[in-house]
Amino acid sequence: MSKLVIRGVSKEFPARRGGGATRALEPTDLTVQDNDFITILGPSGCGKSTLLRVVAGLETPTAGEVLLNGHPVTRPGPDRGMVFQSYTLFPWLSVRDNVCFGLRERGVPRAEQVAIADRFLAQVGLKGFENHHPAQLSGGMQQRTALARALANDPDILLLDEPFGALDHQTREVMQELLLGIWEQHRKTVLFVTHDIDEAIFMASRVVVMSARPGRIKCDIPIDLPHPRSYRIKTTAAFADYKERLTEEIRVETLKTLQMEA
Amino acid sequence: MNGFFAPLKPVPPGLRAALAVACFVLFFVGWGIATYGGFVKPLFLASPGTTLASGYELFAKFGFTADIGVTVARVFAGFALAVLVAVPLGILMGAFKPVEAFFSGFTSFARYLPASAFIPLLILWAGVGELQKVLVIFIGSVFQLVIMIAVIVGAVRTDLVEAAYTLGASRRGVVLRVLLPAAAPQVFEALRLVLGWAWTYVIVAELVGASQGIGHMIIEAQRFLDTGQMIFGIFIIGLIGLITDVAFQAMNARLFPWVRGR
Ligand SMILES: Nc1ncnc2c1ncn2[C@@H]1O[C@H](COP(=O)(O)OP(=O)(O)OP(=O)(O)O)[C@@H](O)[C@H]1O
Ligand SMILES: [Mg+2]
Repeated sequence: MSKLVIRGVSKEFPARRGGGATRALEPTDLTVQDNDFITILGPSGCGKSTLLRVVAGLETPTAGEVLLNGHPVTRPGPDRGMVFQSYTLFPWLSVRDNVCFGLRERGVPRAEQVAIADRFLAQVGLKGFENHHPAQLSGGMQQRTALARALANDPDILLLDEPFGALDHQTREVMQELLLGIWEQHRKTVLFVTHDIDEAIFMASRVVVMSARPGRIKCDIPIDLPHPRSYRIKTTAAFADYKERLTEEIRVETLKTLQMEA
Repeated sequence: MNGFFAPLKPVPPGLRAALAVACFVLFFVGWGIATYGGFVKPLFLASPGTTLASGYELFAKFGFTADIGVTVARVFAGFALAVLVAVPLGILMGAFKPVEAFFSGFTSFARYLPASAFIPLLILWAGVGELQKVLVIFIGSVFQLVIMIAVIVGAVRTDLVEAAYTLGASRRGVVLRVLLPAAAPQVFEALRLVLGWAWTYVIVAELVGASQGIGHMIIEAQRFLDTGQMIFGIFIIGLIGLITDVAFQAMNARLFPWVRGR
C-alpha cells in the first residue's frame, strides 16, 4: 500500500478586499511509497507550501483528498512531522524542551523524553546546546533543532518546507548531507520542498517539478543515484544530466511566473 | 556603528543610571531656581526645602504612614480583583474568537466609561467605605486589562500554534503550553502599565468621602493652602509608582529571561 496518496487536491484562497480569489493549486495527484524521499521543486509562489500544508492538515483543500496509510487527513497530527519555512521553535523553551514538546504532549515519561531528545540532538550535531534558548542559536542550528523536534515524535512522514532556505550555501550543503544521512539511517518517508535544483537532486529518490502558479505537477523524475551519497556526487556526470534536465523544466516555469507578474 | 545617537543603540548600564539620575537632578534644580529665586510665590508652589519639612511633619505628627498603607492596600486590592477577572477572561477572548465576538463590543464600550464618573453611583451602592474605593479601581482597570490581554493572546504567532498542532498538541495543550507562555511576558507588561493607571483612580476615589489615604491628605492640605504637603503627597505616589515599576521589571527579567535572548 502507498504511504501517502494525494488525490485531486486543489486549493483556492478566497478573495480579499481589493482582489480576486487566488488559485494556488490546480488539482494535483501524487502517490508516495514508503521510504520515498520526494523533493518538490518549483518556482516561488507556485503553491509548494500550500500543498505541504494541505498534507499536514493545516489547510483544507478546496477539492480532493489526502490519504495517509489509507486514512483521510482532516487535521494536523503527530503522524506528520513538519519543519516550517520560518523559524518556529518555542522561544520560551530550551533546545531540549523544544525537542521534548511532542513527547510531552503525548504523555511520555520525562526521563524517556530527555533520553530521546538528547539522542536526536546529538544526531543533528547539537550536543552541548541542550540548555540554550532558541534566541541563542544561529538560523541553521534552529532548523536542526526543529528537525530533531520533528524526528523525536517518530512521525510516519516528514514534511520539510524549505528548511534550509534561509541558510548560506555552505551551511546548506552540510545540512543536506546531515539530513540525507539521517534518512539513510531511519528511512523515513520524506516530502521535501525546495527551489534549489542541486538540493532537490542530491537528496531525492524522486523529484517532482511543479509548474508556475496555479501550481500543478509538471513532471516526476526518479533519481537513480546510489546510496550512501556524499557531496562528491554533485560533480558526477549522472548528476549533471539530471541537473540539465531539471534546469530546463524549471526555467520555463520561472519565465512564466515573471511574465505573469509583469 | 559608533556615536551617541545611533538609532536603537543601547547605552552602557552605568551611563544609563547616571542619565536617569541626571534628569531627577535637573528637575530639582529647576524647581529650586523657580522657588528660591522668587519666580513663583510660596502660596502656589512650595520650595524643595519646605516640601521636605512638610513631609517630615506629615510622618511625625499626622500619621502619614497609615495613610500610605491604606492607599497602597486599596490599590492592590482593586488591582488584584481586576487581574483575577481580566486575565482569565482576556485569555479566553484572545484564544477563542466566539468569546471575543461576544465580549469585545461590550468591553470596548465599558473601557470608555470614566471610573471617576462612577464614584457618586458607587457611594450610593457601597457607601463611602473601602469597598467603594476598591470598586473604583476595579472598574478603572478591568476593562483596559481585558482588552490588552485579549489582543496580546490573539497576536501570538500562528506558526507556533501550527507547529504545536503538528507535534500532536490538543487544543487544550495549545492554549496552556503555547498561547500562555508566548503571551506571558507581554501580559505582565500590560499589568505593569495598568497598575500605573490604578494609582490615578485611587487618588480620585480618595478625594471624595475618604477619611484616610494619600488623596484625603492632599484634600486636607488644600484647605490650609499647604502646598508643601500637597506636593509631598504627590511625590510619595510617584515614588511608590517608581518602586513597583522597578519591581515589576525585575520580576519580568527573572521570569522571562528568554525574551531578551542573547
Ligand atoms: N493564506 C493565504 N491567503 C491567500 N493567498 C495565499 C495564502 N497562502 C498562500 N497564498 C497564495 O498562494 C500562492 C502559493 O503560495 P505558497 O506559499 O504555497 O507558495 P510557495 O510555492 O511555497 O512559494 P515560496 O517558494 O516563495 O515559499 C501564492 O500566490 C500566495 O500568494
Ligand atoms: Mg513556501
